[in-house]
Amino acid sequence: MKKKELSTEFYLLLFLAAACGLLGIFAKGFYSVNNLTSILNSFSYILISAIGMNLIILTGNIDVSTGALISMVALALAAIGKTGIPFAGLFLAAMAMGAVLSTLNGLFITRMKIPAIVATLATTQVFQGILPLTCEGSIYDLPASFTWLAFEAKLFGIIPGSLVICLAVTAAALLFAKYSRFVKKLYAIGNNREGARLCGIKVDQTIVLCYAIAGVLFGITAVIVATASQRCTTTMGSGMEMTFIAAVVLGGTSSAGGSGRIQGTVIGALILAMVAPAITYLGISSNWSDAVKGAIILASVITGEARNIKVKRVITKAAGGGA
Amino acid sequence: MGENILELKNIVKTFPGVRALGGIDFNLRRGEVHAICGENGAGKSTLMKVVCGVYQPDSGEILVKGQRKVFHNPLEAYGSGVSIIFQETSLFEKMTVLDNLFLGHEIMKKAGPVRVIDYAAMEKQAEEIFRRLNTDMDLHALVCTLGMAQKQMCEIAKALTFHADILIFDEPTASLTQREVDALFVIINKLKSEGMGIVYISHRLEEIFEICDRATVIRDGCYISTVQVAETNKDTLVADMVGREMGEYYPKTDTEIGGELLRVEHYYDEGFLEDISFTLRRGEILGFAGLAGAGRTELMQSLCGLTGKAAGKVYFNGEEMVCRNYMEAMEKGIVYVSEDRGKYGLIVDLSVEQNISLPQIDKLAGGLKRLDVKREEELGKKYIEEVNIKAPDGRFLVANLSGGNQQKVSVSKALALKPSIVILDEPTRGVDVNAKAEIHKIISGLTRQGLTVIMVSSELPELLGMCDRIYVMKDGRIASCLDRDEATQENILNIALEGVKEKRGGLRQ
Amino acid sequence: MKKIKLTYNKALFLIWLVIFAFIGFRAPGFLKMNYLVNVMIKNIIEKGMVALPMTLVIITAGIDLSVGNIMVLSCMLGALAAGAVGEIPAVILTLVIGAACGMVNGLVISRIKISPMVTTLATMYLYLGLARGITEGSSVYSYHISAFLGTQKLFGIPLQVWLFLLMAVLFVYLLHSTVWGRKIYAAGLNPDAAAYAGININRLIMQIYTLTGVICALAGLIFLGRFTSVKYDAGTNFNLNVITIVVLGGTSINGGVGDMRGTLLATLIIATLNSGLTVLNIPIDVQTIVQGVVLIVALVAYAVVGARNRRKKILKVEEAPGASV
Repeated sequence: MKKKELSTEFYLLLFLAAACGLLGIFAKGFYSVNNLTSILNSFSYILISAIGMNLIILTGNIDVSTGALISMVALALAAIGKTGIPFAGLFLAAMAMGAVLSTLNGLFITRMKIPAIVATLATTQVFQGILPLTCEGSIYDLPASFTWLAFEAKLFGIIPGSLVICLAVTAAALLFAKYSRFVKKLYAIGNNREGARLCGIKVDQTIVLCYAIAGVLFGITAVIVATASQRCTTTMGSGMEMTFIAAVVLGGTSSAGGSGRIQGTVIGALILAMVAPAITYLGISSNWSDAVKGAIILASVITGEARNIKVKRVITKAAGGGA
Repeated sequence: MGENILELKNIVKTFPGVRALGGIDFNLRRGEVHAICGENGAGKSTLMKVVCGVYQPDSGEILVKGQRKVFHNPLEAYGSGVSIIFQETSLFEKMTVLDNLFLGHEIMKKAGPVRVIDYAAMEKQAEEIFRRLNTDMDLHALVCTLGMAQKQMCEIAKALTFHADILIFDEPTASLTQREVDALFVIINKLKSEGMGIVYISHRLEEIFEICDRATVIRDGCYISTVQVAETNKDTLVADMVGREMGEYYPKTDTEIGGELLRVEHYYDEGFLEDISFTLRRGEILGFAGLAGAGRTELMQSLCGLTGKAAGKVYFNGEEMVCRNYMEAMEKGIVYVSEDRGKYGLIVDLSVEQNISLPQIDKLAGGLKRLDVKREEELGKKYIEEVNIKAPDGRFLVANLSGGNQQKVSVSKALALKPSIVILDEPTRGVDVNAKAEIHKIISGLTRQGLTVIMVSSELPELLGMCDRIYVMKDGRIASCLDRDEATQENILNIALEGVKEKRGGLRQ
Repeated sequence: MKKIKLTYNKALFLIWLVIFAFIGFRAPGFLKMNYLVNVMIKNIIEKGMVALPMTLVIITAGIDLSVGNIMVLSCMLGALAAGAVGEIPAVILTLVIGAACGMVNGLVISRIKISPMVTTLATMYLYLGLARGITEGSSVYSYHISAFLGTQKLFGIPLQVWLFLLMAVLFVYLLHSTVWGRKIYAAGLNPDAAAYAGININRLIMQIYTLTGVICALAGLIFLGRFTSVKYDAGTNFNLNVITIVVLGGTSINGGVGDMRGTLLATLIIATLNSGLTVLNIPIDVQTIVQGVVLIVALVAYAVVGARNRRKKILKVEEAPGASV
């Protein structure tokens, strides 16, 4: 039983530590301030949304519309940003929009009883279509107030604003996961939906709320992504959902729901954010970064499953011995 | 002994087509352990599911501590102090023990402006409870890493977190070792002495005599009797449980029984089967009796290559046989009809003929691998007539058939393979009386056509009525072998309940 | 069930007819045979082709997110090899790589029992990354056989359309008339019962994913020929587009329910929408919305029909209660 403590997170951390060590030796300049800042920036926006995705996947659902949702929010932000409103306004607007759109997903899934992957596939197409109608592919020449987060907001003049937000969100999420009843309900639903219902949990309502919360986090990612430059395009978030899902899966969360922790997702996001720069600094063409990402995810789920099978076998033996 | 804390008055529960409970009265006092006994299918578990809110009764009253209650889900029942420990645990496997204990009623505390889960308080309470239960438990272990006994402790502890004073155990010892059972009884006695009322459902009579104060017998969903355990004996209880007259509706016809067809020697499957030896003769119906979990299903599935490797020798037609998978068994002419027809037996969203043809679907391939629908239809038609499946035609969906007719399809599926041995696992489970009789008639007919049948059943009258010989299994061993004329319900029950007799494995030819 | 399936297909046909008539009415140029075949159908061919085996995958309750990347990877490697080993071996190589990619998916799913979604999500990255890494991000160019497949016409109709029609017939036959098709339904509806009826589920899964890989490779050849050059990221979003077609065609993502003809009708609907809205000068974004809305309507319709069906079934099944009492 003590062995079980050597969880996915432990192995991932081990892997991460080894990778960091090797990078220190073989990849000159990997630990330069510039590179670290850029890694931490992408880490920030990946992680924030991955946490949202993690909550959704815990319940045994999924959201493949996240990328489109983020594009949509980003463009809306650009439209608002043209007016020069301060960052706080953008931030709140993004969270609200994210929440509303994601709640729609949740309602669609629970009310219509449509599997999450299909439902969000459908909403992806709606999201992808709607907002670009208002502009010609992109909104540009945005004022400096818009890009405040990316260029000026630096804590102690060095820590990027996005990282500060990310750390705040992560800390809140970790506390939330540990100390709120709500997250326990998510686990229960993912473990055994019927059992959760019998325990008096309002399953549908909880799932919708879960999507809403995830939507807020997606909105925050949208702020970071959108304000990174003075131009917002219609495809900014395109394909991001796969990165988020990958971070969650890599972090050891079961895609069937019911197990997995935010700690794992944090490490998963960090690994994914590091792959591309690490490869570049190792002198390998950055073109190999996706292949490496894929291989890491595949290796991680396969070894995870292999460990799982071993544990299961031990348990069946133990239980069987008593029969 | 204290006042009544749980009273059931005239509880009736029907499912479409079946009257599961027909007016049951029951009362439980503070500080007693009250057994509910009855055969498989008597309605014990259904009754308790009604009590704790999984099902709602059609009529009748539930009084908890004198107050009338209607529970819509187990959580409401917990709230009134009624807790049930299910046969299969209802815990959330991938969550920790502590989370499971308090799910839905976590202890909260104020932390500044918000209310947060108070782990310290929960841990303290959980530790107290486990101390009360004399159990060491890692509160932060995932439930899926626990053994059965530990899971049960969690369930009991969960009930105690609700300050339950009525605790229902449904077959708690089914998958426990003797040591674990002893430990459980110590706990039950302790809880009883603390003034709780405990309902104890079990097949195992010796357990009832060990820890219960009173026993209520139900049979076929009806109340039969309530007795003081100290004033009764096993025979009386068994007689009450069995009760029913054995009717004429087991149309067993005597058939020519030939030589040995299958011989199993020293068959082992670690943890499930131990030193099983038996023989099967051509043309006979061989019964396997025993309690749930005695290893009958495991034995049959293992013989057919459906489960993993097992040690021992199997001779079929005098030659040694090894079935690595079910396909090989089917080729040799041994087919298995599962007890769980919804999960393993049938694909309910396919039609009758599609189900019947499925095991031999490769044989129905014509040129270009084309599925010969004509032959499939003929096959379906043939068995609809022969087995008398009440379906308008072969294209009728199995899901729309009644349980009895579904079972007939399941059996037809096996018969259509023209096997030499058919293994029927609980062939009449969840089937109404008429369909039961029909299925028995079919089984009788089979042997007349030269088939050999192995029948696993928990319904003793059925085994007694149908079988030429009956093996009784207990704890993964063969406890006894009885001939048709020496077998009675009483002696089978006694063997199954009491344990392995000296003559176990004794083969009679 | 049979009846409902039929009405669903009919409904799809009606939807297509309405869309088709509406667009034809607004833009008569659309109705020209030349446009219909050479633009409308031709543009959807690759997606339509991959939707065929994807229907099989989804009927087994699986999913394949890596299709677009298998398509691109296999055709790119083939094209790179064409210069060195000749064209025919290059085509064979393309198909072999497609099969190998599919087989990897099938192996991981059936043997290691990792959920199809996670598996193909990982291999999606892997195949994308391999294509990107091997080509170092640059485009590869078409070669003769590929160009032939992508541009040649036969009797005035593009070769790939003929090929697609042939495959459509073949897949309808495979799913609805063969033993193999029956096994696929059985595996999707109840894998346990199918295994207890002696069907080798693992082998079946392997076959289906491998076949998907091969078809992706074939679609890749056509894709390369049609566009003369392909970049590593050309397969992005291809997976979701294909799944949209399959789901629109009435195949349930939960497995066990589906109809190849529905997939074909859905292909036609999406093709008509894509080209028709372009003809009507409706911006591409609105097209996406329309496509999404059509999918949502189909899903809701299907959910309602399905719920009614299920309710009927539950009523019947409950007649056999509490087996474990």
